[in-house]
Amino acid sequence: MFDKMTLQVLANHARAAAENMAHTLHRTAHSAFVKETQDFTVMLMDRAGDTFAVPMDLGATWYPGLTYGRAIDMIGDYRPGDVAFTNDPYSGHVATHAPDTHLWKPVFVGDDIVAWTGGHIHNTDMGGAVPASLSRSLTEIHQEGIRFPPMKLVNEGVFDEQILRIMTTNVRKPELNIGDIKALVGALNTGERKVLAMVDRFGKQGFVSGVAALLDQAEAQARDILRAIPDGEWVFADYADEDSDNANPCRLKLTLRISGDEAILDFTGSDPQLASSLNVPSGGDPRHTILLVGIYYVLYTLNPKILLNTGLTRPFTCIAPEGTVLNPVAPAAVGMRSLTCARLRSVIFGAFSQAVPDRMPAAPAGNNCIVNVMTRNERTQKTVIAAVNPVVGGGGGMPHRDGTNGSGADAAYLKNTPIEITETEVPVEFVKYGLAQDSGGPGRWRGGLATQMAFRVFAPDSRITARNRDRSFFRPWGTLGGKAAGLSDMVVNPGTAEERRLGNIDTAVLQPGDVLDIRSAGGGGRGNPMEREPWRVAQDVARGHVSLASAERDYGVVIRDGLVDEAATHALRAKAAHPEGHFHYGPERDGYEAQWTAAAYDRLTDILTALPIHWRFFTKTEIFRRIGDRTGAAGVEAAFAETCARFPELPRPAPVAEAAE
Amino acid sequence: MDATPQRDKGATADWKIGVDIGGTFMDFCALETTSGRVASLKVLTTPDDPGAELLTGLQLLAEREGLDPTTVSRFVHGTTVGINTIIQRKGADLALITNAGFEDVIELARLRMPDMYSLFCHRPDPLIPRDRIFGIPARLRADGTETTAPDLTTLAEAVARIRAQGLQGVIVSFLHSWRDGAQEAAVKAEIERLAPDLFVFTSAEVWPVIREYERTSTAILNGYVHPRVSGYLEALEARLAGQGVPARAMLTKSNGGLMNAAEGRRDCVSMLLSGTASGVIGAAWLARQAGETKILTLDIGGTSADFALIVDGQAQYGTGELIGEFPLYIPSVSVSSIGIGGGSIASVDAQGVLRVGPESAGSNPGPACYGRGGTRATVTDAMAVCGWLGHTAMAYGQLSMDVDLARQAVGVLAEQLGRGLEETAQAILDIAVSEMFVEVEKLASRAGVDLREFTLMPFGGGGPMLGAFLARELGLAKVMAPRRPGVVSALGGLVADLRGDFIRTIYADLDDAALSSLRQGFEALAEEGAAWLRVQGHAGAAELKLSADMRYAGQSFEIEVELQPDWLSDRAEIERAFHETHRRIYDFDDPAGRIEVVNLRLSAIGAGPALDMPEAEETGGRAQALRQVPIYLGSPQEIALYDRTSLTSGARFEGPAVVVQEDTTFAIPAGTEAQIDRHLNIHLSFAE
Repeated sequence: MFDKMTLQVLANHARAAAENMAHTLHRTAHSAFVKETQDFTVMLMDRAGDTFAVPMDLGATWYPGLTYGRAIDMIGDYRPGDVAFTNDPYSGHVATHAPDTHLWKPVFVGDDIVAWTGGHIHNTDMGGAVPASLSRSLTEIHQEGIRFPPMKLVNEGVFDEQILRIMTTNVRKPELNIGDIKALVGALNTGERKVLAMVDRFGKQGFVSGVAALLDQAEAQARDILRAIPDGEWVFADYADEDSDNANPCRLKLTLRISGDEAILDFTGSDPQLASSLNVPSGGDPRHTILLVGIYYVLYTLNPKILLNTGLTRPFTCIAPEGTVLNPVAPAAVGMRSLTCARLRSVIFGAFSQAVPDRMPAAPAGNNCIVNVMTRNERTQKTVIAAVNPVVGGGGGMPHRDGTNGSGADAAYLKNTPIEITETEVPVEFVKYGLAQDSGGPGRWRGGLATQMAFRVFAPDSRITARNRDRSFFRPWGTLGGKAAGLSDMVVNPGTAEERRLGNIDTAVLQPGDVLDIRSAGGGGRGNPMEREPWRVAQDVARGHVSLASAERDYGVVIRDGLVDEAATHALRAKAAHPEGHFHYGPERDGYEAQWTAAAYDRLTDILTALPIHWRFFTKTEIFRRIGDRTGAAGVEAAFAETCARFPELPRPAPVAEAAE
Repeated sequence: MDATPQRDKGATADWKIGVDIGGTFMDFCALETTSGRVASLKVLTTPDDPGAELLTGLQLLAEREGLDPTTVSRFVHGTTVGINTIIQRKGADLALITNAGFEDVIELARLRMPDMYSLFCHRPDPLIPRDRIFGIPARLRADGTETTAPDLTTLAEAVARIRAQGLQGVIVSFLHSWRDGAQEAAVKAEIERLAPDLFVFTSAEVWPVIREYERTSTAILNGYVHPRVSGYLEALEARLAGQGVPARAMLTKSNGGLMNAAEGRRDCVSMLLSGTASGVIGAAWLARQAGETKILTLDIGGTSADFALIVDGQAQYGTGELIGEFPLYIPSVSVSSIGIGGGSIASVDAQGVLRVGPESAGSNPGPACYGRGGTRATVTDAMAVCGWLGHTAMAYGQLSMDVDLARQAVGVLAEQLGRGLEETAQAILDIAVSEMFVEVEKLASRAGVDLREFTLMPFGGGGPMLGAFLARELGLAKVMAPRRPGVVSALGGLVADLRGDFIRTIYADLDDAALSSLRQGFEALAEEGAAWLRVQGHAGAAELKLSADMRYAGQSFEIEVELQPDWLSDRAEIERAFHETHRRIYDFDDPAGRIEVVNLRLSAIGAGPALDMPEAEETGGRAQALRQVPIYLGSPQEIALYDRTSLTSGARFEGPAVVVQEDTTFAIPAGTEAQIDRHLNIHLSFAE
């Protein structure tokens, strides 16, 4: 048993090893995805493949609770110097879309494996139907690039050239993939060296028992947090705007049950798996890291000293029924799961916002839109493909502070590219890059403002993709009297006769001189905006964050010549109605849910669950097509009846019998 | 009064003085060159009357060493006045004029923020709030063509509002001014015409580097500290003149070089890391003198520990060093910092795990053992409980130590943990060292160096206390403790060269056409550099160091490649140097890859006077311990205590041991051998 008093010493050595791996990878990688976007992770794992240490400075935030155990077990006979890998979302459930290539390496002491080092890189392209291997429109995993189930990539220090040749043959930028993979292998080797140094420092038994103590420590910290939350059940649902191209909303529903120091996250009631690439392949693992990313944020926010490792996942059990968007079966496409994951985090934030209202912020903007441009440089006559800035929105209003403007909360890891660099390399000209007025949800603490970016192109048929766009219909919600935030939007040539509003569409073709204006959603407000200090509202107006009209309408603050008119403000605020309810969703969702009530969704879920998986998305779409003006469970029932009439082939379940069981 | 009596002091004396001002003390390192005598001292700072401590110090030097101010031929000063202005947010009320549509450049920054797992993460509030930022129509394209000239009507309205708000100064920063600063210059001239009482800095004149946030932010830091730094330096020069010091004051810079104080009043941004940078320069000089080439420096203060690497005897440079919460993008000596110091507070968490920091008792109330009202156990208290401290007065007798108070404070934690007092204290030290371990490991992996080849050089008041333990944790074989660890920064100023940095953004493919713009760039930079040295009053030879920031096309950041001026006519040489440097830093290169040159850089260096420090005669033999003292080293032991002044050149002793001197205590673990060199440094080597 490791001496708990000095556990922090081991924790620091483990963290140092993980930081070392991250810096090694970041320093030696080839692609912008790894070097600039930092879409990578590295970790140290115990003998079972459970992560016990991750870096805190570099990389993405998704995998501190990842377990490699299933993938590790799919290969036998590990030898010193071996490195295994996979990018297949359906083998071992380590990779969650094909571009993410995960590697792992055993660390031997004598004949024993004492630990594993591992990590992932997002490859620029893995082949398949579209460049970069990602498109919402793809319908099955086979279109999303070549897949490697778990297998050895390096045998006793020697790369398997056949695998590298197969990859080179199948992907669009093989030199980037292989450069990055070799850099990751270098990082795993660094990690191995550091683990061996820890074995020297703490002894083999000390190291192994210390690693177990680190996992136990994180678990104990997580359980302490849960124990401090009253027992109870909280239900929350949120929507992605569309479940495929130009289609219906995708709903995620969470029932959070906290009892003592344990929690159940029951996602039953979430939509069926989709015929687009928005599915999240969790494999039904009750503690899959991709289902728990929102939990990491909640726990870290409630206790910033928490150790981030697999131990903190132990008190949690997720229920994600098979054949749903959070547990699709092969060959469902999964490439764009990031969009759904953002919504998955919001349902977790929404449930915890009810469980610990004093300590949670309102909704973050939740649309981490990545903008790519393909255009032609008229001077060099070359086609240029480049990532422009991410367009992300603000954080939600916090308990004692406004939401962070422009990004924040669960989007804090994203980095932008200087306008000067982009304009030098890509023939585009920016018109605006800044914050959007009135986009933050009004509140006692205002939501963070949205980002607005507009640029002009010069060449014909310039193609823009704006991946992960969402929140153009369902607003980031406000809490405790705070209001929902502004919506995202994408507009061609705003304010001109040729204005085209693209709504939630994530691609655009531009002609010379066209301006594309992309705007994210904002963060939700927290607390009653009528209680915000008038001086703060006046300051917001002076800073252009809030308009005069919004100051009066949303905050009840009258400002004349830059100064608060106390009497008029008092009068206005006296008339204001007191906000009701924990959440404020905005008129769009309120209108939608007038038809699509909770009961309607319960009925829909029952109907779809009773169908074979490959009938579910089709049937959902048909019910939406037919529901018309009808509302509630009866409306769903009637639309389903029409669907059954039109498609006699539809395997009729026995819903009554089902319900009776 | 041990001034050398055989000399007629005053007539032939020639004093060079380095002074470094920190949070608590002003450090003096003075060298009398004709006799080779070195004097050092510390004076408590006087925050209410900055500069008064300078007079106290000069007076003490006069009393103790017979210094005559009229014989001071060189006076070099490092100061934290700039960085403190930023940390305390007490700088100028500024306005920013930028392009319409891009007013949020400093709030958005580069988006990514620290603490990325927290839903409460946020960026620092900008130094200029949004209501003082004015966008005016103006636009330059990336190729330098102007599509919209600055709109002077909007500008005039902005200036009227700036004056109405009572602001002190204006920063002007437009997109692509790295390519051509004319728009900014024109707007500056117009503001100066409309409002001569406002000071104005343009981003291109402060540091004309590509990347709008970085350039704007650097210009703002310059303007933000300008009034305070300028006022401080003016007062300093007046005080020196009042004392009859003939030398013009020089300032230590973030780049480890020097500039004259008059320059510092405008080029304020260059002195923000004044003290930390000169500490590394001083350490590098000491290392070279002792024949060490690879050094990890460790400077521990009350609230933080600073680390830097010295490779081949030279300080390492970087950009993006943090000044408080803001990154600084001028070339600076790379120093990493972590919030663990002697004042860091230990606590026990809900699960019974002991933690150290990030809370700190700072210097006020300070550690419990200082007896100034602190009650929570700190790292210094743990040192005292283990027996390393409390044998002599500290900090030149200006601090006394009450070990009982330390025992009480640590006792509270020991009780919580149900463990022994000394055991708990040792655990606090182990954890503090492991926190530093993380930071150094990160530094080493970023730099891609193998730490085992390095020697740790601890300095500052706290470095020698924990340095040897950190070295052991990192697997370093050697520690070198300088004779005067308290004044390494002050010494760094004494030995530094004049150094001005200049940059020109090229941003072109490395082809034959680029060569001519590189040559033109070099000529212009060389002229600027030579002119700068002249203004500094430098008459001697000038060294011009040329380098370029280069990358493979498609990469998002550049590496600095040292160039020789004659390569500017030979593309192959430049390419070779780039591929080689890339391979050294990143472990791979791509000989077929297209290369871009982003910036051309030039450092103009005017060497300072060569300094010869005296060497002691080697006497050798075993060092004589003063007495045995009880220390806890996993178990209670009696170990030797040495007086630093009695450790003569060539003397040897073994660890565990404790060495006391007037400004620090050197804690030496077991399994070590110590030897004193001719410069009276202690060299420690670990067995194995």
